[in-house]
Amino acid sequence: MNNSEKKRRNGEAEEENEEDVEDEGRDAWERTYTDERSWEALEEDESGLLQPIDNKAIYHSQYRRRLQSLSATSAASRIQKGLIRFLCVVVDLSKAAGEMDFKPSRMAVIAKHVETFIREFFDQNPLSQIGLVIIKDGVAQSLTELGGSPEAHIKALMVKLGCAGDSSLQNALELVHDTLHKIPSYGHREVLILYSALSTCDPGDIMETIQKCKKAKLRCSVIGLSAEMFVCKHLCQETGGSYMVALDEGHFKELLLEHAPPPPALAEFAIANLIKMGFPQRAAEGSIAICSCHREAKVGEGYICPRCKARVCELPTECRFCGLTLVSSPHLARSYHHLFPIEPFTEVSARQLELSRVASKTCFSCRESLLTPGTNKAGPCAACTKCKQYFCLDCDIYIHESLHNCPGCESRRITPAAASATMS
Amino acid sequence: MKFQIEEVTVYFPYDNIYPEQYTYMVELKRALDAKGHCLLEMPTGTGKTIALLSLITSYALAKTESPIKLIYCTRTVHEMEKTLAELKFLHNYQVKHLGAAAKMLAIGLSSRKNLCVNPKVSSAENRDSVDAACRKLTASWVRSMAAENPNQPTCEFYENYDRAAGGAVLPAGVYTLEDLRAFGKEKGWCPYFLARHMVQFANVVVYSYQYLLDPKVAGIISKEMQKESVVVFDEAHNIDNVCIEALSVSVRRQTLEGAIRNISRIENEIDRFKDIDAGRLRAEYNRLVEGLALRGDLSASDAWLANPALPDDILRQAVPGNIRRAEHFLHVLRRLVQYLKVKLDTDKVEKESPVSFVASINSDAGIDQKALKFCYDRLHSLLMTLEITDTDEFLHIQTICDFATLVGTYARGFSIIIEPFDERMPLIPDPVLQLCCHDASLAIKPVFDRFQSVVITSGTLSPIDLYPRLLNFHPVVSRSFKMSLTRDCICPMVLTRGSDQLPVSTKFDMRSDPGVVRNYGKLLVEMVSIVPDGIVCFFVSYSYMDGIINSWNESGILKDIMQHKLVFIETQDVVETTLALDNYRRACDCGRGAVFFSVARGKVAEGIDFDRHYGRLVIMFGVPFQYTESKILRARLEYLRDTFQIKEGDFLTFDALRQAAQCVGRVIRSKADYGMMIFADKRYSRHDKRSKLPGWILSHLRDANLNLSTDMALHIAREFLRKMAQPYEKTGSTTGRKTLLSQEDVEKLGGNGAQEMLY
Repeated sequence: MNNSEKKRRNGEAEEENEEDVEDEGRDAWERTYTDERSWEALEEDESGLLQPIDNKAIYHSQYRRRLQSLSATSAASRIQKGLIRFLCVVVDLSKAAGEMDFKPSRMAVIAKHVETFIREFFDQNPLSQIGLVIIKDGVAQSLTELGGSPEAHIKALMVKLGCAGDSSLQNALELVHDTLHKIPSYGHREVLILYSALSTCDPGDIMETIQKCKKAKLRCSVIGLSAEMFVCKHLCQETGGSYMVALDEGHFKELLLEHAPPPPALAEFAIANLIKMGFPQRAAEGSIAICSCHREAKVGEGYICPRCKARVCELPTECRFCGLTLVSSPHLARSYHHLFPIEPFTEVSARQLELSRVASKTCFSCRESLLTPGTNKAGPCAACTKCKQYFCLDCDIYIHESLHNCPGCESRRITPAAASATMS
Repeated sequence: MKFQIEEVTVYFPYDNIYPEQYTYMVELKRALDAKGHCLLEMPTGTGKTIALLSLITSYALAKTESPIKLIYCTRTVHEMEKTLAELKFLHNYQVKHLGAAAKMLAIGLSSRKNLCVNPKVSSAENRDSVDAACRKLTASWVRSMAAENPNQPTCEFYENYDRAAGGAVLPAGVYTLEDLRAFGKEKGWCPYFLARHMVQFANVVVYSYQYLLDPKVAGIISKEMQKESVVVFDEAHNIDNVCIEALSVSVRRQTLEGAIRNISRIENEIDRFKDIDAGRLRAEYNRLVEGLALRGDLSASDAWLANPALPDDILRQAVPGNIRRAEHFLHVLRRLVQYLKVKLDTDKVEKESPVSFVASINSDAGIDQKALKFCYDRLHSLLMTLEITDTDEFLHIQTICDFATLVGTYARGFSIIIEPFDERMPLIPDPVLQLCCHDASLAIKPVFDRFQSVVITSGTLSPIDLYPRLLNFHPVVSRSFKMSLTRDCICPMVLTRGSDQLPVSTKFDMRSDPGVVRNYGKLLVEMVSIVPDGIVCFFVSYSYMDGIINSWNESGILKDIMQHKLVFIETQDVVETTLALDNYRRACDCGRGAVFFSVARGKVAEGIDFDRHYGRLVIMFGVPFQYTESKILRARLEYLRDTFQIKEGDFLTFDALRQAAQCVGRVIRSKADYGMMIFADKRYSRHDKRSKLPGWILSHLRDANLNLSTDMALHIAREFLRKMAQPYEKTGSTTGRKTLLSQEDVEKLGGNGAQEMLY
């Protein structure tokens, strides 16, 4: 498959960086289509018929690169990670958020992607909580308290959408600081600021506030929407966060989603801590009760706090009455994989595959043939570095993104460590 | 790392080297081999200083049989400190690798103001008063007086230094000014005199331009430098102006009044001496009759006035008879001052050549050329005889004698211009008589003649072929280097039209057009809304800046700007400007954002860096031509045309463009930095203007950016800022543009591969 090879390399070059020479010559409107230049992928076969477009290969290669870069950053596999995160998302809704350089406006783009982010965040960090803060007219206001329900946050944000006035980073930081500094020590305090404006109008000295945040161990990250600002960079450097500026909508989404997996724990937090948690039972079908979170009578669905017997609608959450952290065991298990990620599989070239000892040439997990249908030539596949089994690329993605276990390694040996990891 | 350039082993204190640094060293080495002068242009932020220092010191180490000395001239004390710090780093590296063999002595020399450790002296507020306070304590007659009278205050540091005499030496090492002071304090020796003494023995001397170019200072400090020296002028893009200033004198009313006061004071002193010690004046007279050299037999602490004319032009003759006696000399001075006063009382502009001026002095005041020529030496001798120590009081009469000596000595390359008022303010009488030097080559000629190699280097020396003509020398190497970058971190743009597509320019007939003013305003308003942190704007002159800010204020544009950023303005007052700059930086730091309005050729444009977030964008409003109606400039242009065949237009454009390049070059000070430059004038798109910009700007100026309107510039700016905000990768390994060479790379390069590697 020379062809797909070429395509992949092409895709790589385009993705590599916007500075790429090839990219330079293109106009802005063209650049938006670089990811999906589907017309270039059209191929004719010998008889002149069009072959079906193969977007998969591009998709696979993109995924692999992402995986590689991720594993490169966390090269030391045993980094302690903060699994219980308390994240304040600060959305700048000052005048600058109304600008139209992102279509239809920065504000709409932010809202759209924050929604995805919140869902993804809770998916990856079931034990964590989010709070929303917006900046408008030079003041910061808290939109939602820290909580574990994605729907509540999303709804609150959509209602409040609309921009006006100046932006004040200091006010936002003060507010966030007040919210986060009372979080118990096992929780990771994080701030994610989506900043549209290019200046900040502050009532006092922002440097003091930054130092205050640093002292309170707030990890502040900023995603800028227009250009690099010194004060944001300074804030992120001081507090150990990351500062990125979005090039376009796609890039913005990517940057935002990078904040979903838990970051490495700060050294100061690296102390073991016991946390009291409750594992509520699901309420019986058909029983009617008033839930403590919405104060509405509900039939069936919902969980019962094991300590005070209050009814809650969703997990994970904190019991409204006794303050117990309520989770379910799958939540715990899903958080667990961040600590022991599977190493990225190595790519196997077609030649290697043909020479390999595996006679069947099938994917170890789904048992599909690894040979390209029709041509009977070896297609792209990947191999686990530990068990040396071959997997098709779809399974590769599934294993790394959802399963978090390698079927090859699991079936080979059952060690205590591996056993505990199979919880998911 | 260390590597070979031909037969010289170069010790370079960093693990990696930029390719342009390597080629720079290769070129420099060739110039040193040829024992000739060279001109090298390399953009700032590419490590010019360390490349220079590293090559020249390594060269000196390699050629032990004929040791060369490095004389490094900087413009400011701050640059001097920076250079010495780098040299220190380099020296430590060399000593680590070569052991004691690499030991050298490097010192920085500055005025007493920066070096004095005597608390009583160094507390004085300006340079002249520190000098005078020092002389009060260290002049030879003061000290001999102190020998008899213990109550006479002297400087203990100088006394200690003097007592140690030959034993007072600096051990090998690199001494910054701070180190010198510390060393002096510890030993109890005067650091200033110690440094001046050690200048002869040091391997590396770092000091200011004036110490070589201004004959008044050079005569004392740099007299005994060996021929086998390499002289480096760093940041030398304005070197022609420094040369000219060193030989120019201007006389105002205040000067003349001060001179008269000085003369009467000298008269009183003479009378006093006649009463108590008439023999002394007699002795002086006898000495002058015999034609003894004035200097030479003086102790170091007494040498404070050297002849303003260049060494070759000073006659080794006895002082003429009519000014040998102190009283007669005073009469001459009085007549001269009187004559100048009459001259100043004119109400029209006058221009004269030195020859006719001297002739008219001779006929009107009866002072002949020879007497004029000796004025300075005679005054010097007189002040010594009278044991005058508060020299800062006598600056006025010194200026007059300066003037007289220069007029008497030079017939060519000068002119005398009398202006009754400033052209821009014709109602306020402010007469000034100027002796202007037009020939930059005069002051620098002795330097070229005396030293083996002279290196002139700067970030902006374009067009590089003009400097040899201005300074009248023949470089063996003249080259302009480009910057190798991992990313396109500078974005120059030429903006020719406003948002309404009408051309913008500061051309004389267009500058007050309300449309142009509005378009400039609109440009800035749009830019402040998309550029983060700091923006710097340069205008062509103070008066133009005042005008345009006023009209922006009236039309509300200024208010729109203030919505996004604070506005700070440079004024002619240094303190005010410093304060404004300080607040500007604070506004940039805290994220409020700020705009700084400044003037090309002002203090800010020359010496202040706006690197990193302090300057993300610089806008040059208009082409900063010199004030072409100025009589001095006219005279200089005429001279240049007649003598060097440099066309007026060429020189003016060259001068304007080098100023513009200086201004915009303020924003980028290192490779990790990034910044945009907007040349807002339609004239920049013309080839004759544009081609005079330095190569490193031109190479980034794409054809598409040559003829922009405001909205197009905005679009480019937005994209550029986003692109630059992405994480910066130092080595450039992914983009395939290699900008850091390791040891192996350099070894692979060998002799001439470097050029291919670069471009």
